[in-house]
Amino acid sequence: MADTRAAAETAERGGAEDAQAVEALPPEQPGLPPSEWIRKNLFSSPFNSVLTVAFGLLALLIVRGLLNFTFSEERNWDAVRTNLRLIFTHAYPEEQYSRIWVCVGTIAVLAGLSVGLAAAETARRGVSVRKLSSSLVAMGATVALGVVLREPSALTDIEGRVRRDDSGIMRESFAEAMTDRWAWWLAAAVLASAGAALWFGFGDERRRETYVRPVELFMVGSAVLVLSGWIYPWGHYAFADGEFIAEPGRTVAMSTKLPWTVIWLLLAAAIAAGRSMRRAGAGPNFTLALNLCWLACPFVLYWVVLRDPDLDWGRVLSVDIPLGVLFAALGGAVLWLLTDQRIGELGRIIATLLMGVAVLNWVAGFFGWYPMLQKVRLSFLLVALAALVAHNFAGERSKRLRLLAVWVALMAVFHYMATLMNSPSTVETPTEALIGGFSVTLIVASFTLLFSFPLGVMLALARTSRLPIFRVMSTSFIEVVRGVPLITILLFFAVMLQLFLPDGMSISLIAAATLGYTLFSAAYLAENVRGGLQSIRRGQYEASDAVGLTAMQRTLFIVLPQALRVSIPPLVGQVIATFKETSLLAVIGAFDLLRMANNVIPSQTQFLGVKREGLLFVCLVYWVFAYAMSKHSQRLEKRLGVGER
Amino acid sequence: MSVSDATTALTEALAARDDMIVCEGVNKWFGDFQALDEISAVIKEREVVVVLGPSGSGKSTWIRCINRLEVHQEGRIVVDGIELSNDLRNIEKIRSEVGMVFQQFNLFPHLTVLDNITLAPIWVRKKPKRESDDTARSLLERVGIPEQAEKYPGQLSGGQQQRVAIARALAMEPRIMLFDEPTSALDPEMIKEVLDVMKELARSGMTMMVVTHEMGFAREVADRVIFMEEGQIVETGTPEHFFTDPREERTKLFLSQIL
Repeated sequence: MADTRAAAETAERGGAEDAQAVEALPPEQPGLPPSEWIRKNLFSSPFNSVLTVAFGLLALLIVRGLLNFTFSEERNWDAVRTNLRLIFTHAYPEEQYSRIWVCVGTIAVLAGLSVGLAAAETARRGVSVRKLSSSLVAMGATVALGVVLREPSALTDIEGRVRRDDSGIMRESFAEAMTDRWAWWLAAAVLASAGAALWFGFGDERRRETYVRPVELFMVGSAVLVLSGWIYPWGHYAFADGEFIAEPGRTVAMSTKLPWTVIWLLLAAAIAAGRSMRRAGAGPNFTLALNLCWLACPFVLYWVVLRDPDLDWGRVLSVDIPLGVLFAALGGAVLWLLTDQRIGELGRIIATLLMGVAVLNWVAGFFGWYPMLQKVRLSFLLVALAALVAHNFAGERSKRLRLLAVWVALMAVFHYMATLMNSPSTVETPTEALIGGFSVTLIVASFTLLFSFPLGVMLALARTSRLPIFRVMSTSFIEVVRGVPLITILLFFAVMLQLFLPDGMSISLIAAATLGYTLFSAAYLAENVRGGLQSIRRGQYEASDAVGLTAMQRTLFIVLPQALRVSIPPLVGQVIATFKETSLLAVIGAFDLLRMANNVIPSQTQFLGVKREGLLFVCLVYWVFAYAMSKHSQRLEKRLGVGER
Repeated sequence: MSVSDATTALTEALAARDDMIVCEGVNKWFGDFQALDEISAVIKEREVVVVLGPSGSGKSTWIRCINRLEVHQEGRIVVDGIELSNDLRNIEKIRSEVGMVFQQFNLFPHLTVLDNITLAPIWVRKKPKRESDDTARSLLERVGIPEQAEKYPGQLSGGQQQRVAIARALAMEPRIMLFDEPTSALDPEMIKEVLDVMKELARSGMTMMVVTHEMGFAREVADRVIFMEEGQIVETGTPEHFFTDPREERTKLFLSQIL
């Protein structure tokens, strides 16, 4: 009795200590006064002073060069402003644009829910007001510095041409330039005064202890952007039938301000909804449902929303629905049989035989031995795969019934999607591809990641497997793919894949490229995951063995979660790399973001040869997304660090 | 019926029904190094056996052979009537009958304490989640840390972690518990809390095999002490006999070094 009490006391003490460690964060160190900070960090020794001055000057020169390039009179930013729609969606028909807004809205709602639900898990409180206000002032100062650094604008004549004299381009005087740029001064003043207002509005204490979450910062920033659309007519555009038409008065801001406002409101509502659900104690089931929505999102948005398939109801009723029902029933019967605990080893043999038949179907298709719908081949493969893993779900009646329900749902979704994909689209575009520009970049990147993650994990597991056949196959695949340049793989798939497909199956350029990207990315992901697998200590394997977990359970519940967590930084690196590598689509002839800037815009009659602006803008778009991903991964690492030793 | 079959049948007939672990002539080598040398021993039901010996004497290797974390090369090991062989189903069966506690705890760091304990009952014993949760909470109560259920192992002290590890092993309702130096990685002030749990377990009638350096525990709780050196069992006896009147020279030398 005394023993247990002592133990309980120790435990309590331990608990109290832990609670303290979480709640009593050390006070933020009061910062040095500015003069002291400058002396300590910039001019601490004569040599360091020289370094500071020299590299400071270099940085100023670079900034000046960049600003002069961006705001030079020779820059034709109209090329970007007019072609915004082309850059983001290529030739997707204007009257169908509501479909794109539905996609953006769906993603916004899902993102909002996820962010709202996850907020509690992030222990860090975000940015302190102190830091926020000082960075606002710093931003104001940077804008002001930029205004001063930029060289004075060139003088133009009435027709807008740059005036030149003997010494080159004629420029206005420095004083004129400074007064001309009143809008920039205003922006600098607004930023700096907002910072100052925050600084003095909060007391010294509150300034340090009030935190603003990154989400809130993002929402405020995007609100400012969206509202600006109602005030200033950003971007004028017109592009129809492959021809650029100057249509004054129609601006991008005017046609998008309403959708963007609605989407901003949806996002805000979704975040609020996510938060209130979290407070109401939404369980893991809700998170699971949300994640399933994320998984389904690319498929549904692309094939259902953007593509709007034209279903042939006669065929659907006579072929597609009966096929789906048949496979649901037959597969269900097989699964019911195989999850019977009495079947034992025989079950595995049956499953392996089914797999053999499924693979044979593909071989037969390749040689053209007997005709068969692709859907039947795929469904059969799914039945065989499910049969192979069925024995893991053997158990009592209710459990087997649940497995059957999942199977029927899977078949319904699969046959529905397959039917949609086989139907022609009702959306008519002047180009071969449905959509292009940044949309295709995003679509290819998300499908690649969706497929290459499971494939990469499987390859990594196979490479560390005890079965030699898996090890050899996986190692040779990884080494072959890693030894071939990505562009070669892409070109190969774009040209050759069609030849390797069974009769009657065709594949678009984008799909072929996605497949190439998937295999390439999977090989690299596999190596990253393998690194994680090797970091798992032997004790973890022994402990899982000692409690009687099977090898598959051990891999799923113990090894993979830890291995994936360890490999987050390299995995995110690979995700970002894949996202950026989609720009190679331009090389194999698809109309992606880069192709717009590099080929399409410069060949328009109005903007003949205007390339730099578009390329700079494309850089900016890639950077914004890549940087956001990298930031998010840092937060993810911190959040998942909770369970670390 | 061949002669060897007859001897096997005879030994099995002779083995009383309450024999939990039977080892006969177990040999194991790591490369050229012989880790276990003709180990033969019988551990009865409800018996608490403490294995002592200098480091490198093969104690841990032996205990790890019993649930097949290590594979022995010669001899027989029979656990609760099931002989250890290469047959996977036998191994899985034995592992779910035998609980093991490790020197380094080996908790699953990415799971909460509760999930650590309930994982195996849910997936191996196929118990409903709610029932496993209840069992886990009562086990945490038993080891004295009911309030830590939602925490992660990394947030607990070493002693608390080891108690969670004991609860995790107990959740499978094992018939035998193996302890591989359960207190060696602990700070001195935490050893007692773990030993207390083990004593309570021994009093409840669990069959236990404990490799340890805690002489106090051996003296107080053990029914029998086995002393090993260089892969051999040197001496076996009750704690009183072992600590007060050892027969073998090597045992005397060992005891003089540590006591």
